[in-house]
Amino acid sequence: VSEIDGRPIAPQPGESVLAAARRLGIALPALCRVEGLSPEGGCRLCVVEVDGRADPVAACHTPLGPEMRVRTETPRLAALRRELLGLLVEERAPALRADPAGSEVERWMHALGVPGRGAPSEADRSHPLLAFDAERCILCRRCVHVCADVQGAFVWNVVGRGTESRLAFGAARFAGSACTACGACVDACPSGAITDRDRADAPAPERRTRSTCGYCGVGCQVDVGTAAGRVVRIDGAQGAAVNRGHLCAKGRYAHAWQGSPERLVRPLVRRGDRLETVSWEAALAYTAERLDAIHRTHGAGALGALSSSRSTNEAAYLLQKLFRVRFGTNHVDCCARVCHASTAQALRTVTGTGAASACYDDIERARAIVIAGANPTEAHPIVGARILQRVRAGARLFVLDPRRTELAAWADPHLALRPGGNVALLNGVAKVLIEEGLADAGYVAARCEGFEALARHLGALSLDEAAHQAGVAPDALRAFARDLAASGPALYVMGLGLSELVQGVASVRALCNVALLTGAIGPLGAGLLPLRGQNNVQGNADMGSMPDHLTGYQPVADPAVRTHFAALWGAAPPSRPGATLPQMLEAAARGELRALWVQGEDLAQSDPNQRQVMEALERLELLVVQELFLTETAQRAHVVFPAAGVLEQSGTFTNAERRVQRVRAALPPPGEARPDWEVIEAAARALGLAWKYASPGEVLDEIARAAPALFGGLAEDRLDGDGIQWPCPSRAHPGTARLHVERFLSGRARLSVLDYAPSPEADVPGFPLTLVTGRVRDQYNVGTMTRRTPLAALAPEDVLELAPADADALGIPDGEVARIVSRWGEAQAKLRRSERIARGTCFLSFHHPASHTNRLVGPQRDPESDCPEYKVTAVRVERLA
Amino acid sequence: MGMATSILDDGTRSATRLRVSEPTGAEFPLVRVRERRRQGVTLADAAAELARAAGRPAAPLLAAANSHADLLASPAATRVCRGTSCELRGAAAVAETLSHDGPVRPVHCLGYCHRSPAVLDAGGHVWVDVEPDRIVGELGQTPALPAPPRVECRAPEPIVTRRIGRGDFAPLSKAVADGAWRTLERARSLGPEGVLRELERSGERGRGGAGFPTAAKWRRAAAAPGADKVVIANGDEGDPGSFLDRVLLERDPHGVLEGLALCALAVGARRGIVFIRSEYPRALRRVRAAVAEAERAGVLGTLPVSVVEGFGSYVCGEETALIAALEGERGEVRPRPPYPTERGLFGRPTVVNNVETLVNVPWIVERGGAAFAALGTPHSNGTKALCLNAGFASPGIVEVPFGVPLRAVIEDCGATPCDESALAGVLLGGPMGSFLAPGDCDVALCFAALAERGIHLGHGGLVAVPRGADLGALLRHLVGFVAAESCGRCTPCRAGSARARRLAAGDLAGHATALRGVLGLMRRTSLCAFGREAPGPIEALLARAARA
Repeated sequence: VSEIDGRPIAPQPGESVLAAARRLGIALPALCRVEGLSPEGGCRLCVVEVDGRADPVAACHTPLGPEMRVRTETPRLAALRRELLGLLVEERAPALRADPAGSEVERWMHALGVPGRGAPSEADRSHPLLAFDAERCILCRRCVHVCADVQGAFVWNVVGRGTESRLAFGAARFAGSACTACGACVDACPSGAITDRDRADAPAPERRTRSTCGYCGVGCQVDVGTAAGRVVRIDGAQGAAVNRGHLCAKGRYAHAWQGSPERLVRPLVRRGDRLETVSWEAALAYTAERLDAIHRTHGAGALGALSSSRSTNEAAYLLQKLFRVRFGTNHVDCCARVCHASTAQALRTVTGTGAASACYDDIERARAIVIAGANPTEAHPIVGARILQRVRAGARLFVLDPRRTELAAWADPHLALRPGGNVALLNGVAKVLIEEGLADAGYVAARCEGFEALARHLGALSLDEAAHQAGVAPDALRAFARDLAASGPALYVMGLGLSELVQGVASVRALCNVALLTGAIGPLGAGLLPLRGQNNVQGNADMGSMPDHLTGYQPVADPAVRTHFAALWGAAPPSRPGATLPQMLEAAARGELRALWVQGEDLAQSDPNQRQVMEALERLELLVVQELFLTETAQRAHVVFPAAGVLEQSGTFTNAERRVQRVRAALPPPGEARPDWEVIEAAARALGLAWKYASPGEVLDEIARAAPALFGGLAEDRLDGDGIQWPCPSRAHPGTARLHVERFLSGRARLSVLDYAPSPEADVPGFPLTLVTGRVRDQYNVGTMTRRTPLAALAPEDVLELAPADADALGIPDGEVARIVSRWGEAQAKLRRSERIARGTCFLSFHHPASHTNRLVGPQRDPESDCPEYKVTAVRVERLA
Repeated sequence: MGMATSILDDGTRSATRLRVSEPTGAEFPLVRVRERRRQGVTLADAAAELARAAGRPAAPLLAAANSHADLLASPAATRVCRGTSCELRGAAAVAETLSHDGPVRPVHCLGYCHRSPAVLDAGGHVWVDVEPDRIVGELGQTPALPAPPRVECRAPEPIVTRRIGRGDFAPLSKAVADGAWRTLERARSLGPEGVLRELERSGERGRGGAGFPTAAKWRRAAAAPGADKVVIANGDEGDPGSFLDRVLLERDPHGVLEGLALCALAVGARRGIVFIRSEYPRALRRVRAAVAEAERAGVLGTLPVSVVEGFGSYVCGEETALIAALEGERGEVRPRPPYPTERGLFGRPTVVNNVETLVNVPWIVERGGAAFAALGTPHSNGTKALCLNAGFASPGIVEVPFGVPLRAVIEDCGATPCDESALAGVLLGGPMGSFLAPGDCDVALCFAALAERGIHLGHGGLVAVPRGADLGALLRHLVGFVAAESCGRCTPCRAGSARARRLAAGDLAGHATALRGVLGLMRRTSLCAFGREAPGPIEALLARAARA
């Protein structure tokens, strides 16, 4: 037993004196220490005295040995700390001043008697989100470490020799740096040299609410600080399983939409070509009357509903229930249809479950990671950062992507395949695995079916031809297959680059073939991890926002399932599967679908073939929209219900690793806006149903009863902390982090025989370039929220990225607005030469309504999943006259 | 608010997390940067180019590179030695004169303290006994190779100087004829344990300054888990006043390499590295040639050995900073633990040994640890080679058994009276050593006796401070050296040395108290031995000034 300040403490292996002292509640100044990273040993303020040693030692990197006697408070130590801090502040940071309520350093200045000068200073405020004041920097390097070892951005570095060393960010002004604005450095900075601009002048939070971030599908936990009825700051929740205190720029800073004066605060009903403000009662009564009228006249097939991947599980559940129960229609879907529908369907076919087999913690266990058609550092930044750190720690990374994404730069190798070339590429890989004896024969024999057929099929495949179709060199393909096999079971991180294709389902199944042949589904640190694009895209599918499945993936066609729901709901859902989202829009365009309820989705901007979408919406007799803002879609609505945003409503979201986490309202919604689930409940009552839910928690209880096999154990009181990963069949069940560990839900996994088929958008005469659409880091989808935050300044417009050689051939200078033409429409965007994109390919995001990116994307869809082909469109780029 | 924490599990967290090095794809990224610098590429471009080739951000590599003096400086600059010996013998005037002629930069030091002052021209030629008036006209010609220093042995038999005392043994044939590589051959039958046991019996302690028992270091590395162990010969002899390692590397490179190979055998290392400071171009050439010859002859066995040129930072003589430089990081000290023997180069167990330490090893294994232990004193076994600078009447290298009085070395070997008539004092062990007045020199050279008196032997360099020398200037020189070479990692050394330099530049007497304060803070709280020990000689000079 050792002793610190006379108090006995048992040393733990590897524990530093500092950590041990903290365990005893002893506070030591440790200005350069970042918990969880290796000690910097630089500031020296944590000096302590140890019996038997003449000079003090630094507590942060001195292990607490057995029988060690440590003193942390002596007059000599106080003097040394005062001198050290004085030296640090006087030599480095004239702007600091002792202050019991100031920064960590200023509080220690106060405690140790270092007055400081508090000299006036000029911070660099060139960046919209962060400010840096060099006169407050004590060169502790915490920012350097978190920037490198948490975010992986390498923005902060110490430059210069020895006494001349200083903190630098690699640019003349901070706005020009490579900063991704994750804010980790702000949290780490002890002196207030790096600060958040959003909270600089905000009052201290009166209340902090733990909730789940409402942007991408990673599912980060946030602490929302509010004061005087508004959001004053959002911070990453310490210790949360998903993000461990870390956030991205969107999660941390993109909250100003909440207080936007453009928010919808009262219901609107169309009178002629105007939307007029009405009372809730009037809006609900009108909606009920119109829905009933259309139902009476045209039957169940004339009505449909779309929930949003942004809705809570509870709101999505109630919407599909309402339409199924009240109108007897299965025309319910959600925007998962236009993103991961192919993935979900393929996984359901191959493994029995349309969800990730692996979990995020497999990233840190992975020895090899394959990223296929995903750009996590931009679209799923926290997962991207975790992957990057894992690669830095030695895992091998393979990237299959037409674009040289940030992570592609870390890959070994990056195969820049042609957009849509996945099946050809992955068939080739499977062929090499099988024919070179690299497949895991034991695994395949024990856990898969269809091997012989696959082997036969691939035996006839020409590898050279497959490589050619994929747009990669045959040797590179072969080497990739061999390296992959040599790396052991890998973690497969996949995105919309596989799914949003005519061969979307086939692409995912082809990837599954490779994963199965290498024995990758089941072992720790391996498996399938599709990155869901939106906060609750997983949950929306789970809830039954699908035309062919009820809550918990129970087929509507199954009589037993309908009996179960009839008992629960009081009315059986119809047996015939309904229409998918694109089919509903087509039906609307034909005049067959007459009423559409849209919960928080901007179809007009986000769906492909935009002109047709607009026509379809124009033809509807009733378009009901629940929205935050008057979006392109809401402008065409007959009824607009003002919605509570993610910060203003409660319920649950389910992230990409099947983790159901709580969403808690941090604020009341503005004006008369209401949470989505309450609106559906109110509409149900207006339609004569006796629905009564006291809270979203009661809805969740019903969800648990609706699909007990997957959700039976879910209940609000169990979801505090890090939530629960489904399947969770009972209240005693802890949840399931990883699926198919010993056996597949479907018994055996199905290897798939697949043929590559070129996209209908390939090689279209007159349209020599292939357009890939997608998201950029600083915006989110249609930008409804992010465009109303300071992030807008970072990505103020959609930009067409083109390979320099292609841009040169067109003779269009950077920054000039170019016309982009497809067979389906036209758009305009500024052009930028980019090394990230291969010749013959171009990239355009769709965040800004003015760009009309989705006018370019055509009607091509995967025939099985109905997922549109956002990732391949034949275009030409023209210089404006 | 708390901080975002690393998401990595414990197994992947370490002080040697890859930051720059492996991601750049180059084995030793800074070596590549230097190559490009020599081809006239700017530092920023060189870093950007290397990073881009590997698809990595350039900023960390650039930040690392610009902590190294060589990479910052123009490759065309003439290097003027500003080590203590040269400083006392007119280096300032040399630098001043040359600066009118072209780019000049100070270095610490060129290892010609026996022929101070010295200059290294851009072509890699060394000029010694430089006179400011003559050097300007002569620079550009090829100077004669300076004669090797006088080497003398006062021990019963020479160990470390057994070859350099007798000639040039760089050619493999000469070295083999003299018995080199024979011991390694025999040691293969002895096995790792046999070698370790002899080292243990010898009681050898590291000669680089810290005096850590060699066998204990090797044992730790041998016991550390991991297959890819590394052994490094530390030829970054930076202590002004010491030139022994330079001479060993130039004239007995096979002695160094055999010691390194024995170390590799003992700890089970798969590769060896010889890290030699860039200020020793001839040593670099000769060791590279020796490695090539040894590899061709097969005497190294399966041990691949790389020779890496240093980057001009004094602190990189410290083992963790040396490793950082090899990894492509800033040349800064890392906190311990972990020790390099557990997690060193790229996280692999690594032994770093000083050149002199390694040259002793073949002798120890050959003759037995007991024979080594029989020399010297009970706690300081064997012999020690000392360097006497040009300030002594008889400069050169002298090998003595531990235990001889310092006074005897000065008077008998240096042929200089150890009293006030000749000397204001001596600087023993370089800038991190001790400044001793003639009256302080009655001390036996052994770790125990020196430690008792608070004297640091360092690497064993002796610089004579002649009677009448400007001690204030010497103090400012030493303060300036610390401020110029501080790695910048820790507060007391970085900010303290900057403040000390400012204080020393003004009224010394008036600032004495403040100066003592900041030096004391550095001594007590610095991260590494540099910041803790460099204040010693300065404090001694301050005390001396106060008495005067």
